[in-house]
Amino acid sequence: MTIHLVILRSASWLVPGERRVEWLAEWSAELWHVRQRGGWRAARFCLGSFRDARWLRRNSPPDAGPWLRLESPAQCLGTLGAAAGVCLLLALGFGPPKTPLVPVGPPLLAMLYLAAMSMPVVLATTSLRLGEYPAHRSGRRWAFFAAKIALVMPIVFFGALALWPILRMLLIYVMLPGYVIAFRWALADQRRRCPECLRLVSHPAPIGEPSHVLLEWYGTEFACAKGHGLLHVPEIPTVSFRTQTWMRLDRSWRALFS
Amino acid sequence: MVPEPKLSHTAALILKAIHAGDGYGFSVMEMTGLPSGTVYPAMRRLERDGLIRSQWERQAIADADQRPPRKYYKLTRTGQTAREASERRYPLLAKLAAEEVERR
Repeated sequence: MTIHLVILRSASWLVPGERRVEWLAEWSAELWHVRQRGGWRAARFCLGSFRDARWLRRNSPPDAGPWLRLESPAQCLGTLGAAAGVCLLLALGFGPPKTPLVPVGPPLLAMLYLAAMSMPVVLATTSLRLGEYPAHRSGRRWAFFAAKIALVMPIVFFGALALWPILRMLLIYVMLPGYVIAFRWALADQRRRCPECLRLVSHPAPIGEPSHVLLEWYGTEFACAKGHGLLHVPEIPTVSFRTQTWMRLDRSWRALFS
Repeated sequence: MVPEPKLSHTAALILKAIHAGDGYGFSVMEMTGLPSGTVYPAMRRLERDGLIRSQWERQAIADADQRPPRKYYKLTRTGQTAREASERRYPLLAKLAAEEVERR
């Protein structure tokens, strides 16, 4: 395998699974032709594949493979709880680090201290907006969000502690980005859930055109599989459509979803 | 009256290159002078917005030439309208593409 194919294969891991084979076939075929015209530009051509792969990743609906089913709130919290338990057992198995990582002693306080340290980065790099939702049943949504945050913190903390024998004093540099990624995931996951049943929304459909955003909106529409409503996510935020909005469907629509 | 879609200069240039050229990614790169990291994501966006559509070449044709099959892109009817509108908006586009076709 040449260095060019290694670059393409590396970039292909960014492409969503269902499109990866076709994407790689297209780039490999084009690479064959680029080489025929002069090999010197093949490396530059291949490096561009990362931008293409990243575009596809960012513009494809999130897919949960069969190995990680997080659609329902119970599945999500169950999986996170199991992961937190495994991380805790692994951390206990390897034993706590001899040198304290942070100025606070007990593990629970250390976990919260490190989570608080990661907050400025989260606030600087992530939008905290969760969208416009109906006010009713908001308590259930916030409780679910809080439960997710409460479970991802021990996953990051104890998961990183399990790597103590390898990372040693570099541990804190793994933990802080870990917290940032975990909090970003919790926010992104919350934005993709139906406010009624808290299941992940599905069936993405592109709506509108990027050049027509004055009186219409341009973005993606998701539907709750149980027929509770539609989630409108604007790709270009406008004055009239700043953030994602939930459109509730009444019971008369349920027949379409059953 | 249906409003004409407005495109960025890069998107208009790529539409023009797909229309005037052979319709695959590398030919668009050669005609426009844009790098692969700009051309391919732009073509994905145009395809998602329904301005172009892609089709794989038949395996038999590629086998006859002893090369891998390529993916070709064509303008849709909406894409044709957008291209015509963008040529009115960016008059230099037509000239640039014509020069490139002559050079080839």
